[in-house]
Amino acid sequence: MTKMLTPKNLTIKIIISLLVLAAVMGICALAGSQKIDLQNVLAGPGATAGENTDFEIFIGVRVPRVILAALVGATLACSGCVLQALLRNPLADPYILGISSGAGLGVMAAVLSGITWTLWGCSSITIFAFTGAILTIWLVWLVAHLAGKSQTTVLLLAGVVVNAFFSAVIMFLTSIAKSEQVYSTIFWLMGNITEKDTSVLWASGIFCLAGSTGLFIISNRLNILTFGEEQAKTLGIDTAKTRFIAFGLAAFVTAVAVSLSGLIGFVGLIIPHAVRLLFGPDHRQLLPLSAIIGGAFLVVADTIARIVVAPAQLPVGVITAIAGGPLFLILLANKSSKVNWLK
Amino acid sequence: MSNIIEVKNLSFAYSRQVVLKDLSFEINQGIFLAIAGPNGAGKTTLLNLLCGLLKRSAGTIKIDSLDIASYSTRKLARKIAVVRQEFVPVFDFTVEETVSMARTPYLGTFGFESQADRMLVKESLQLTDTERFADRPIGHLSGGERQRVFIARALAQDTPILLLDEPTSFLDIKHQVNIYDLLKSAQLEKGKTIIAVTHDLNLANQYCDDALLLGCDGSYVIGKTTEVFSADLIEKAFTIKTFAGLVGREKFFIPLGKFAKDRDAIKQNGG
Repeated sequence: MTKMLTPKNLTIKIIISLLVLAAVMGICALAGSQKIDLQNVLAGPGATAGENTDFEIFIGVRVPRVILAALVGATLACSGCVLQALLRNPLADPYILGISSGAGLGVMAAVLSGITWTLWGCSSITIFAFTGAILTIWLVWLVAHLAGKSQTTVLLLAGVVVNAFFSAVIMFLTSIAKSEQVYSTIFWLMGNITEKDTSVLWASGIFCLAGSTGLFIISNRLNILTFGEEQAKTLGIDTAKTRFIAFGLAAFVTAVAVSLSGLIGFVGLIIPHAVRLLFGPDHRQLLPLSAIIGGAFLVVADTIARIVVAPAQLPVGVITAIAGGPLFLILLANKSSKVNWLK
Repeated sequence: MSNIIEVKNLSFAYSRQVVLKDLSFEINQGIFLAIAGPNGAGKTTLLNLLCGLLKRSAGTIKIDSLDIASYSTRKLARKIAVVRQEFVPVFDFTVEETVSMARTPYLGTFGFESQADRMLVKESLQLTDTERFADRPIGHLSGGERQRVFIARALAQDTPILLLDEPTSFLDIKHQVNIYDLLKSAQLEKGKTIIAVTHDLNLANQYCDDALLLGCDGSYVIGKTTEVFSADLIEKAFTIKTFAGLVGREKFFIPLGKFAKDRDAIKQNGG
């Protein structure tokens, strides 16, 4: 008999991976173009003569940024898991239903219109991106809903078509825009983590955590949904309700993540995949572990993006794609039974 | 014995095409019923109506003397388990994980199995002889093994009623017999009511107490298998020439096509 997943077993795994995540975050917060001394940081403010700059940088700049990276990475990985389950397609990612192009279009609109106000600490770009993402997912869902039968296929098709259409509009706008406007959107489109207000961090943290917890609660139902609508129903799942909740929450947390950091690719695709290869497909475990590992992955990627061409910075999306692609291929090639010991 | 399923004046149509018309029958608890008939007669449709996947156009279906519409999806899943035709899932769930899903209609908020759930899963794995590959992904099994896993899942669902849609259609004769043996012992030892859609008249004849024969024209016959599966009724339902013979106490059917040797010389001898 194999060892089946128990709440105790799962809790232990989650705690261990959380400790790893905390360690990764700590190390990455100390790394950077400006050298920071750990002892100065631990000594706290006012410990040295004059200002304790090491402490200021650590708490004021590095920590919020590392937290943001972890938050975005966790959210994208979690949402990727859910969409792969719902669409019963291991190649799905959080952007497959048009969220990316919708948010992108929102950002183009914000930049081209020259709106620069802020709301509750959020820039206009963040707000436009969020609105664009939510409107797009609603549009795709509506199309699929009107089509009725075999929703999954229609949903996928509608998502792909909306994505293609909006991307074309983005291209059009890019080609008629002034070059300095284009430059700021390109960084966003490639996925870019920057320092954010503490209040924004708190709010988005709470949203993402609440959404992910909701998804964790229905994770057993997601397992069964991967066996198809008919089997799920005869196993006692209210499929329409579960799919609606899952899509809604996944879209919402993705929209939050995207509006904070732009279109960071690969995290939502490879992290769930890699975790599934290592730990198996049970979503009760896959979801929390993907979130934690996704968070750690993006923290590392963002740190590399910060320091590799310092004092300039790379968009983190470039790092996730360059590092994630080969990593994923290696995992895929090694899939076989070699990784069974981890189960 | 009481009726666990009652169907009265049941009709069903897909948009305009009428599939089932004015069907009425009762099924006693603990009976093994075969549903047979040509393609398009509505066998699978009837099965989907009985497990609540389709909504009837007219008539009533009662499960355990309550109207089927009064059950929630979760409650109905505690009454009826369904085994479908050949199916391979997208993700690599293991045999044990798959069978454990049967406990879903009984789980709490977070969806974790209790010790009792685990015991039932283990028992079902043992009954179906699938325990030895419990940790293998179901995608890696042979067709016969995989079908046994889905039967194990249906048993672990712990329902009084078991519905099967052509459970043996992709299997060789050894594995076909294997599956029917398994179902028969679930009927005899656990008192389950089993309803199986099948194209295999000979096996159904051996194993099933009752049979429901659906014709393409909306006609139907239900009763003891020995009576329903007669050469006349089979020929009428399937509109082909058939030979029915007896070996010991088992009846068998051989379809006789246009090019069958001695087609016209063969006479019925017992059916």
